[in-house]
Parts: sequence; C-alpha cells; structure tokens
Amino acid sequence: MHAGGHGNSNPNTNYLKSRGLWLTYSIGMLALHLVLLSVPPLSIPMAWTLTNQAHNAVTFVVLHILKGVPWIPPDQGAASRLTHWEQIDDGRQHTKTRKFLTACPIILFFLTCFYTEYESHHFVANFISVILVTLPKLPQFHKVRLFGINKY
Amino acid sequence: MDVIEPVYALLFSRFVPTYHVHLQVLLGMVLLYVLFKKPDKQGRNAKIENELDIINDWKPEPLVKPVDPNSRGLNPPVTKDQIGKHITVDNVKCLNLATHNYLGFVNDEEIEAKAVAAIRKYGIGSCGPRGFFGTVDVHLELEEKLAAFMRTEAAVVYSYGFSTIASAIPAYAKRGDIIFADEAINFPIQKGFTASRSHIKYFRHNDVQHLAELLEEQSLLDRKNLKKAAKTRKFLVIEGIYYKTGDICPFPELMELKKKYKLRLFIDESISFGTLGQTGRGITEYFNVPIEDVDMIMSSMEGSLASIGGFCVGTTFVVEHQVLSGLGYCFSASLPPFLTVAATTALTVLDQRPILVEKLKEKCEEMDTLLRQSSVLGRFFKLSGFPRSPVKHLFPLKAEDDTTVRLEAIVSLCLKEGVALTVPPFHTEDTNHRAPSIRVTMNLKLESADLVLAVSALENAALSVFAR
Repeated sequence: MHAGGHGNSNPNTNYLKSRGLWLTYSIGMLALHLVLLSVPPLSIPMAWTLTNQAHNAVTFVVLHILKGVPWIPPDQGAASRLTHWEQIDDGRQHTKTRKFLTACPIILFFLTCFYTEYESHHFVANFISVILVTLPKLPQFHKVRLFGINKY
Repeated sequence: MDVIEPVYALLFSRFVPTYHVHLQVLLGMVLLYVLFKKPDKQGRNAKIENELDIINDWKPEPLVKPVDPNSRGLNPPVTKDQIGKHITVDNVKCLNLATHNYLGFVNDEEIEAKAVAAIRKYGIGSCGPRGFFGTVDVHLELEEKLAAFMRTEAAVVYSYGFSTIASAIPAYAKRGDIIFADEAINFPIQKGFTASRSHIKYFRHNDVQHLAELLEEQSLLDRKNLKKAAKTRKFLVIEGIYYKTGDICPFPELMELKKKYKLRLFIDESISFGTLGQTGRGITEYFNVPIEDVDMIMSSMEGSLASIGGFCVGTTFVVEHQVLSGLGYCFSASLPPFLTVAATTALTVLDQRPILVEKLKEKCEEMDTLLRQSSVLGRFFKLSGFPRSPVKHLFPLKAEDDTTVRLEAIVSLCLKEGVALTVPPFHTEDTNHRAPSIRVTMNLKLESADLVLAVSALENAALSVFAR
C-alpha cells in the first residue's frame, strides 16, 4: 500500500511530532511503573530498575533495531535501511522530538538511581542499559553501524 | 530480595562508592549537550553532497531550443479520415505501413458498433481512477477475459499503454534492487527503470553470453556479502519482440538464466501479444514455455487490440499488488468504458479466430522475403527483424551524419508514391538511441499486391536518394 496524504514522502515518524505525544509517553511510563510497583514480591528499588530496563528495552527495539517503514513509501525505499530513530524529522539532529526522546531514558535513570539508593548492583545494570540507548541517539552515530551490526 | 544480587556480589562488592557520582555527572553533561544544541537546518537523510557546487554549475536551458526549419515539428504531416489499411497524408491516399494495427482491428465494423453502443450506455469518460468510482463492469469483464485468454490467474488493466509498463516495473523494483535489461529496450521501460531507482545493468542486444557474464559477476559480489544479497531483488526485463529492432528475444536461453540465477522475469509483449504463437498468446506460446514460469507479462493494447490502454497478467498475488502500488493504476482515470469494450471485442474476435494470427504470420513472412530478395534494398540496407515480426526495420549499411535526413527524404518520396512509412524518432530522454532506420509496420489488411507496390516504391525512393 502506498502511504500518502501527509505531504511528506516518509510519514512514518509523523506521529512523534503530534500533539500530546510527550504527555502520552510519560503517562505510559508512569502506568508501567505503577503496575510493577503493585506486584507484591517486588521491592521499590526492584520496581524502579525493572521500569528502567523495560523502557530501555522497548525503545531500543523500536527506535534502533527495527528498520524501514510498514508500508510502501513513495520514496521508493529511501528509508528501507534506516532505523526508526534515523527517520525522525528526515534525519535532522537536535530537534525537539529527538531531545525529548534522548532526555527520557537519562532522567528515568537519575530517578532510578535515587530510588535504588545508589545501590551498586542496580546502578551497574541500569547504567549499562541507559548507555546502550543513549549512544545510538547521538548525532555522531547517525547512520553508523558498528561492526556492521543490523546493517541490512 | 534482589534477584541480581548473587551475580553482582562477587564482581562489584569492593567498588569505590563515588564512581556513580562521576558517571552520573558525565551523563548529565551529555543530557545538557543534547538539550542546548540548536536544531539542524537541514535533514541528513536526503542530503546531497556538493550541493552548492551543483547549484553554481547549473546553467538553465533555453525555454525553446533553436529549431531546424525543416523539422517535422514545424511541418507536421496532416492526416485525414480513419487510419486503417490506408492513411491520407497531406491529401495523398497512402498504403499504411506506418501505424501499429497488426491484426487490422481499426475500422472493424463489429468493434465499432459495440464501442458506439457502450458510449450510449456509459458515456464518454469514466470520470475517476479505478479505486475511486472509475471501475465499471466492462473493466472487470476485460480483466477476466484477458486472464482467461492468457491462461493466467489474474489480469489488471491500465488506461494507457506507456504508463502500464512505466508503472508496473517500479511497483516491484525499488532502490537498491538490480535490473538486468537488454540495451535495446523501449522508452516506456526506461522510464519505469528511472522511477524504480534501481541499479540498471544493460546487456548487449540479444547477447545471452553477455548477460551470463554480468550475472556471474553479480553472483560473485553476492557471495562476498550474503546479508546484502538476501535483501537485493534481481529482475530481468525483456521485450518479446523488440520495438526498436523487430528482433525476437532468445527466450529459452533467457529462461535458463532466469532459473539458474533466480531472477524475476518481466516481459513487455506490446508487439508479440496477438502476433506470436499459434493463437496469438505471445512469446510463451511461441516457445512453448509454461506461462507460470514468467513472473509478469505486460503489454499495451494499442497494437494488436487496436484500442487504448495496457494490461499486466500474472499470478493473483503479483497482479493484486499493482491495484495499490501501480502508480498509473492508482492515480490515473480508468480506461474509458467504450475503449474497454472495443478491447474486449477485439480480444473475443482474436480468441475465436486464431486464423487471423496465422494470416498475419504469412503476410509478415512474405514481406520479409520481398525485402530480403530486393537487390536494390540489399545494396543500401540491412533488414533487421525476425521474419514473423510485424515490425521490421531497415538499417542503412553505412552510417553517415546525414543518414537521418536521407532516410526522411526516402520516406517522403514514398509518401508521394502512395506508401506511408516512418523513420522512428527517438525521444531526447531516450538513453538507448539505435542507428536511424526506416520502419515497416505490417497489418493484416495489406494484400500481396500492396506489399509488392510498397517494396518497389521503397526501391525507387532509395535509388533516387542514395544515387544522388
């Protein structure tokens, strides 16, 4: 199916610019956290770490692993080898959407550190995951495939 | 309490307690850097290298290029009446060996009557694309009949022959894909290639050996990068009978290569549909190859069927993809119902009377013999083309600067003698210009005497122009 009607040759990431997206995103994260908190065997630090890990895992898959678009774009496949993150705003860097999506995991990480009382096991696990989702978001890593991972 | 505790207890128990402060400050600095950077002005994905140089180097073309005062555009031949067996050019009634009407269905009374009845019923236009109120029962009927005639699962009808071919190719071939094609392919296919943005690899005209070399080269590259090869589709696009040369394609050899290298095969049968094979079913019938082995057959309906538009046939899966992805199908008004009815009627006649194809074959072979036997033409021309092909090209033996002018002089002398021929022009964007030629286009209405007359007119004209 051809995408159309947006005046944009690749409308795949248009939803990220839509009104209320930041609020929806934050509510989603909060809901996830509340659900985890309400599970009896999980302590508060564990619930925070799991929120952080789940959030980072999902955004890593959606933004940095999945490539291309779910329909036949009118650009004849220009975006077929770009990740979702790279398609945002046609590759423009430092846009509002990008700043929001970069800030989210970092702020979540700070909160997690605080609520896990800087306990080193939690800290190491959360730090590794936040680095994994932050590095590919930096402009220096735009269209870079380290060691050819996820290239085609 | 902690699930991860036992794993990390051994590794990190003696860490300095301040390490997390350093790491957090570092991360905080990354966050500040990201937040306070100004947004880029331009996207990086569609960025063109040396953009400024390209803009500076650009020199606008004149709106109107200087025109040769003798150009055809300034002195267009004026035709009158319907163009059938005869064509009236500048008030001279000529035998028509210029237009594509192989089976002589133009002026056919039955077809005309049905088309007129369709105008009374449906009106002139269809007033919308197929997906948007433009589908009328006659379109579905034509698609059904075409699929049944070609013995495929499904067919799709476009409203213009050129856009059929130029839309069907980019519906499948995309950026990064590779298309192998004969260098003599016609202009609509080239436009389809441009729209597909694929890599195009041309092999020399009808040179299977060259194609095999290109494929072997490609398969070596593929073996070096298997992941990339798995994501690259490979196509082979050929014509049944080549519009620019009249040659038939070496189909069995091409099929072998298609199977060996797993290519997707598209055939343009604009000329071979209705003229090749026992019953006019085209190149697959002629070579007795099962039509299921070909991925898609495209054809214009402006040749044998003497209507307007085009069609593609193949499996249901292949055809239905075009309903949403063929640009010419989605975004053009559908074929006017009366032209659809004309095509359906012509197809029915072709289906019921395969003798027409047989007769056309005899005519084409007769003309081939006449042209080959003529010693005068043999002195100046080389006849290109398969004997059964309704399109024949006479290529001059010696190519000089003024060859085109001379050929046009021959054609206009023939016009005065009452024989209409053409020097096929090439579009300026056509990337594969062949040498200039005189094209002889056959149709079923021409009698043996007409053929003799045409050849003698051509001989006289050639003598008077080349002997000058």
